[in-house]
Amino acid sequence: MSILTYNGGVVIAMKGKECVAIAADRRLGVQGQLICTNFNRIFEMGPNLYLGLPGLATDTATVAQRLKFRLNLYELRENRRIRPKTFSAVVSNLLYERRFGPYFVEPVIAGLDPKTNEPYICNMDLIGCPNEPEDFVVCGTCVEQAYGMCESLWEPNLEPDDLFETISQALVNAFDRDALSGWGGIVYIIEKDKVTVKELKTRMD
Amino acid sequence: MEDIVNARCHGLDIGFHLSNNLLNDGPDWLSAEHSTGTSIMAVEFDGGVVIGADSRTTTGAYIANRVTDKLTRITDHIYCCRSGSAADTQAIADIVAYQLSFYEMELEEPPSVKTAASVFREFCYSYRDSLTAGIICAGWDKRDGGQVYCIPLGGMLVRQPFTIGGSGSTYVYGFVDANYKPDFDKEACVNFVSNTLALAMSRDGSSGGVIRLGIITKDGIERRVIKGKEVPRFFEG
Repeated sequence: MSILTYNGGVVIAMKGKECVAIAADRRLGVQGQLICTNFNRIFEMGPNLYLGLPGLATDTATVAQRLKFRLNLYELRENRRIRPKTFSAVVSNLLYERRFGPYFVEPVIAGLDPKTNEPYICNMDLIGCPNEPEDFVVCGTCVEQAYGMCESLWEPNLEPDDLFETISQALVNAFDRDALSGWGGIVYIIEKDKVTVKELKTRMD
Repeated sequence: MEDIVNARCHGLDIGFHLSNNLLNDGPDWLSAEHSTGTSIMAVEFDGGVVIGADSRTTTGAYIANRVTDKLTRITDHIYCCRSGSAADTQAIADIVAYQLSFYEMELEEPPSVKTAASVFREFCYSYRDSLTAGIICAGWDKRDGGQVYCIPLGGMLVRQPFTIGGSGSTYVYGFVDANYKPDFDKEACVNFVSNTLALAMSRDGSSGGVIRLGIITKDGIERRVIKGKEVPRFFEG
């Protein structure tokens, strides 16, 4: 079993009309065994900027903490909120610093630009290669299933309520076909003036 | 280290479309063996047995079948619960059913559960180095009523009042030891099996789906399926 599948987990992010959504499962496991059903892998990095970190759970926690540290220093020096695209570069740099002994996480970034409110999503491999598409990004143990679900369900310019439905269905039906993810879901819908968090009731097997 | 990094880097994947490469570096479920990493159990009661199983078959971490039937007919009154390699257990069950149908023709009476279990054991012990099969053989016959026999990995055979098996069983040994009573009737057995399997399915990644039950008595088998909201739920963190 690969080190990236040891704890399990999946994160999806999607772009909508003037909004973005990021969603993840809640399982923390040790290979086949479930440990808890309330594990957090999405972290708030700004009022409209969220970071998902699927992969090895210890690195999820460490990378989130180290990134928050760098982000705080940035905001103190620049005296403004960071833009999602810039944050993406910070994450990439942090991961590439460990090129030959990497953190075993594959980040997913979702946010709105603080000035223009333009939606932004990004995902990376474990050494920081960024990928910034126009539609959706997925990372985790059921990427193949998630890509299939997103490719068929996503369409451009979804309103926040429709985006919520779409990302929830994509997430749940993807992780229901994976033995290492699931056991609950959480979805963040990020709009220019508010962020809505919803917990999904899912099958717990 | 290099293998993990190479396999997961976007940048290095350009042009690699060879199927051999996919079998080596692609998702593990393209090359992994089908396994019924599983939760199965069987319980005796006065008049028959209750057998139960989850319904998940995995190839690696991918759920290949979420509605599998792991309760396989050997004769009308003898069934087996399969865990381990899906291919191995299907092949063994087919061979045992075939041999017992011959036995029934020659002896002109239905085979006993003990005989069926012994045939399983012969096979599982003789080919123990090549097989991955954990089997529970249970049923009813006229001589001894309801019986449960477990045949784990090496090919041992032992009769027990109830037994649990599969990867999910490890999480529920405490529960079954604390909750089993020897004087369960049919419905009490059904509840015991449902609750046990629900707990195992909740904790084990390789078990899940629906709960398939079989109640075997002198009248044959009564099959039940517990799915969706009817599956018992316990503490979920």
